[in-house]
Amino acid sequence: MRNRLVTAATALGVAALLVQPQAQAPQEAERVRQIPAGRPGPITTDPKIVNLPVPRMHDGKPDLTGPWVGGGSDADIEREGGLKPGELPLLPWARDLRATREKATYEEPYIYCLPMSVPRVNPYPWKFSMSYTSKGLTSIYLLHEAGDAGAHRVVYMDGRKHPVDPVPTWWGHSIGSWSGDTLVIDTIGYNDKFWLDARGTPHTEQMHTIERWTRVNNGTLVDEFTLDDPGAYARPVQLKFTAQLAAPGIDLMEYICTENNQLGIAGGYRLNSDGKLEQK
Amino acid sequence: MNAKHRLVAAGVSLVCLTVPAIAHHGFDTEYDAKKKVALTGVVTKIEWTNPHMHIYIDVADAGGKMTNWNMEMASPNTVQRQGWGRNTLLPGDKVAFQGYGGKVVESHGALSRIAKADTPDKPLFIQGGPEASREGFPGQP
Repeated sequence: MRNRLVTAATALGVAALLVQPQAQAPQEAERVRQIPAGRPGPITTDPKIVNLPVPRMHDGKPDLTGPWVGGGSDADIEREGGLKPGELPLLPWARDLRATREKATYEEPYIYCLPMSVPRVNPYPWKFSMSYTSKGLTSIYLLHEAGDAGAHRVVYMDGRKHPVDPVPTWWGHSIGSWSGDTLVIDTIGYNDKFWLDARGTPHTEQMHTIERWTRVNNGTLVDEFTLDDPGAYARPVQLKFTAQLAAPGIDLMEYICTENNQLGIAGGYRLNSDGKLEQK
Repeated sequence: MNAKHRLVAAGVSLVCLTVPAIAHHGFDTEYDAKKKVALTGVVTKIEWTNPHMHIYIDVADAGGKMTNWNMEMASPNTVQRQGWGRNTLLPGDKVAFQGYGGKVVESHGALSRIAKADTPDKPLFIQGGPEASREGFPGQP
């Protein structure tokens, strides 16, 4: 979705290349091809900048601020997380549900401006906002430009524990700690309303995620991601996502998703008064 | 779509257009990749709104019947990062544009390319991803 102005011939040619689907196994890839993930946002690609040392905060911790582009699932968590088609160990009911959702992308909560939650990252820039107070780094806020990501996500860095029985929420309850230079975020308490990708990969309120964020150089941030949800998966899953530093000059801009979302008009569907979809 | 539009669309189908990616929702949720259009008209309104911008364009067919096309673009942020400002395109501007019609409401489409009519080879907006091919700050040549 990110574009620039170049000559028509060049742009169309480049665009044609960019929208070509990545080489994938044939069957499941066919569906994913119909769900454009959006073009990646503008990133820093100069190797002289990318390979600079990791910048650090005054307390010696890595500066994870960014802004970053990518680093999560969007179109297909299985593929984007580094697995081959079919390797995501969905329980039968969850696999069936994903298959149903794949045929009903207009039901995706995200496109109605609801939060995408973890580990999803849309093509817009996002950042870790490291909040230092008189007590040190007490919390880290994750801010996504796109408002449908939700207002903010907070990661408590003050040593608190998870509540015993949290009320399920879109972003869950996140506590963070450092393991050397790696930020470890442990989250429980998710609701089951969001989709893990545009395919509709499901989860349950039992989902427990562990993110291990490491800034490996100035321009690259890696998330070693553990998804543990015995309600929907046969075993814990290990995925890997990589974010790239946004291009110089890029920062988060205002984005109010519900302002003029014309979703459904061109496609001929709408939510009725019962909150159910009707199609023309 | 009237006869003229169909003829134009058929011609454009020979061009290697790319299906625009709508980051907020999948293209195929709303639009039909088989309904390619290439039209000229006059801009009547530009909505700098989220989640996506919309440009409204009056298009006359061969018989003079006017249709107001509602063409969806990227988010205002994305478009600004391409170098657009408030005065880049204004109501009253004559434009040549390409895109894809809506699945049900054909004149509610996805914009893939737009240029002022007197400079058709200098597009103001190309949906599809050329930005990702360039380094540095968006909006710069």
